[in-house]
Amino acid sequence: MKKVLFSLSVIVIAGILLSACGAAASGGTAGGQSQAGLPDLKGKAITVAVENAYPPFNSIDSTTNKGVGWDYETTLEICKRLNCVAEFKQAAWDGIFPAMAAGEYDMLADGVTITEERAKTVDFSTPYVTVGQVLLVRNDETSTLAQFKSDAQKLVGTQIGTTNEIVAKKTFPDKQVQSFDDFGAAVLALLANDIDGVVIDNVSAAGFMKEQAGKIKIGSQITSDEQLGFVFPPKSDLKTAVNAALAAMKADGTLDALNKKWGLSQ
Amino acid sequence: MTTETLDNRKKPGMIRDDIDPSKWAWWAIILIGLGIAIAFAMIFIPKYNEAFIYLVQGVVITLRVTIIAYILATVIGLFVGLARVSKNVFIYNAATLYVEIVRGIPMIVLILYFAYAFIPIVIEGIHGLGNLALMVLPGNGFFTGMTLYSIRSIPTELRGIMALAVGYGAFEAEVFRAGIISIGKGQMEAAKSLGMTYLQSMRFVILPQAVRRVLPPLGNDFIALLKDSALLTVLAINELTQLSRLRRASTFQIFETFNVVAFLYLSMTLTLSAGVRWLEKRLRIEE
Repeated sequence: MKKVLFSLSVIVIAGILLSACGAAASGGTAGGQSQAGLPDLKGKAITVAVENAYPPFNSIDSTTNKGVGWDYETTLEICKRLNCVAEFKQAAWDGIFPAMAAGEYDMLADGVTITEERAKTVDFSTPYVTVGQVLLVRNDETSTLAQFKSDAQKLVGTQIGTTNEIVAKKTFPDKQVQSFDDFGAAVLALLANDIDGVVIDNVSAAGFMKEQAGKIKIGSQITSDEQLGFVFPPKSDLKTAVNAALAAMKADGTLDALNKKWGLSQ
Repeated sequence: MTTETLDNRKKPGMIRDDIDPSKWAWWAIILIGLGIAIAFAMIFIPKYNEAFIYLVQGVVITLRVTIIAYILATVIGLFVGLARVSKNVFIYNAATLYVEIVRGIPMIVLILYFAYAFIPIVIEGIHGLGNLALMVLPGNGFFTGMTLYSIRSIPTELRGIMALAVGYGAFEAEVFRAGIISIGKGQMEAAKSLGMTYLQSMRFVILPQAVRRVLPPLGNDFIALLKDSALLTVLAINELTQLSRLRRASTFQIFETFNVVAFLYLSMTLTLSAGVRWLEKRLRIEE
C-alpha cells in the first residue's frame, strides 16, 4: 500500500512540475483554427529566438520586466493567424546564425537585414519593412559626417556581426570603429563619452532615443535600403506559412499599423 | 637457468623489452600532432591562412595586455601581501578589505564595473576637484586642465589592463602572503637580532626566500591572466578573442576560426608554461 501511494505521489508531483514548465513565455492560444486561406499549424509550438536588447523590436520593459516590442506583437499576430503558439527564447546575437543554420530555433525575430551572404546559410521571410542606417550621436554633437570621417579622434561603435558593422567599416577608417556585444553597450559607451557615434538602423536609433530621452539624437543618414525579415533554418516549412501570414497582414493593413505603432515607418 | 625478475619479463603490449608504449606521453604526442596539423593548414589552406593573418594581430594585443597587467598585479600583490601580514591595524584592514572584495567578484563583472562605472566616477571626481580648486584659485591653468580632463584620455585598453591588474592583484597578494608566512619565524628573529628593522629583514632576508618559494603559483596566475585577457572582448578591445568574434561574424567560417584561435592561445600558454618551468628549475631552493 505504501509503495503504491509513494509512486502515485511521485507521478502527481512530476505532472505538476511538467505543466509548470510548459507555461514559460508562451503566447497565443492552442487549439483553434487558422484564419481563412492561411496554412493551419494546428496549435504547434514554435520557438522564436529574440535578443531582448534591440528596441523597438525586442527589449525588456523596465517596469514590467517582460519582453516587449514589434517582434513580440507581430509574431503573436502571425501565430494567431496560423494557429500556432509562439515560445520566445532569449538568445545572444553572437553565434545566432550558426544556431539558426543548425535548426536550434524555429524562427529568429530581431530586425535582421536580408543579405546574400546570410541567405547562403539560413532562409529569410519576405521583407516586412525597409530601413536605413544612421549615425546616432549625443545631443550636443555638432560634427558632420565628413568631419567624423576625417577626424581620427572620432570613434564610432556598432554591434559585432551586423550589417551596421559592415557599413561602419566601409564608411569610416577601420581604426575608428569599435564593435560591441550589443547595441546597448555601444549606446552606453556613447553616453559615457567613450565613443562619438553609433552606426545603427534608424528604427532602433529611435528606440534608443525613446529610452534615453533627450540625450541622443540622429546625426546623419548613411544608407537607406536595408530590408528586414525573419530568419528560419534552411529548408524550413514554417517560412512559407509565415510568408503567407505576412502577405495577409500587408493586404489588410495590420502590418502597416504595427510598423507605425513601433516607429518602423511614419 | 636464468632468474626472471618481474622487471625483465616482457609484458603484453610491449614491442621489445625496452619499448613500452603505455609509458609514453600520449597526450603530448596527440597535442603536438594536432598542432602540426593546424600549422600545416595555416600554411597551405587559404581559409586557414587568411584567418591566421587576421588573428595574429590580436596576439600582439593579448600579450601586451597580459604582460603589463601581470607586472602591475605582481607589484600590487607584493605590497598588499606585506600589508596582510602587517601588525598595523589600518594597513591590515585596508588590505584585507581589498582582497576580500576583489576576490569575490567575477572577473568579467570587475572589468565592466571598472571600465563603465569606476573610471567615469574618477573622472567626475577630477572635474569636481578642479572646479573646487578653481573657486579658490580662479584662472589657474592646471586646475582648468583638471576640469577639462576627458574620459578619452584613459583608453579602454588601459582600463582593461587596470581591471585585470586590480583583479589579479588580490590573488597575488594571497600568494605572497602564503610565501611570507611559510618562512620560519626563526629567520625574522635572527634578522632582528642582527639589528635589522622589520622592513630591512623583509627586504633582505624574508622576501628573497618567500618569492622563490611561490614561483609555481605566480607562474600559474600568469597563464590564468593570459586566458582571462579574453574577457576584454566585452570592452570592444581588439584582442585575440574579439578578433575571432569579428571574423566569425563576417565570414561565417566558424570551424576554421575557432581552430586557429585555439592554436594561437595554446601556443602562448604552453610556451609560457614551459618558460615558467624553466625559471622554477633555475631558482629552485634546495632545502
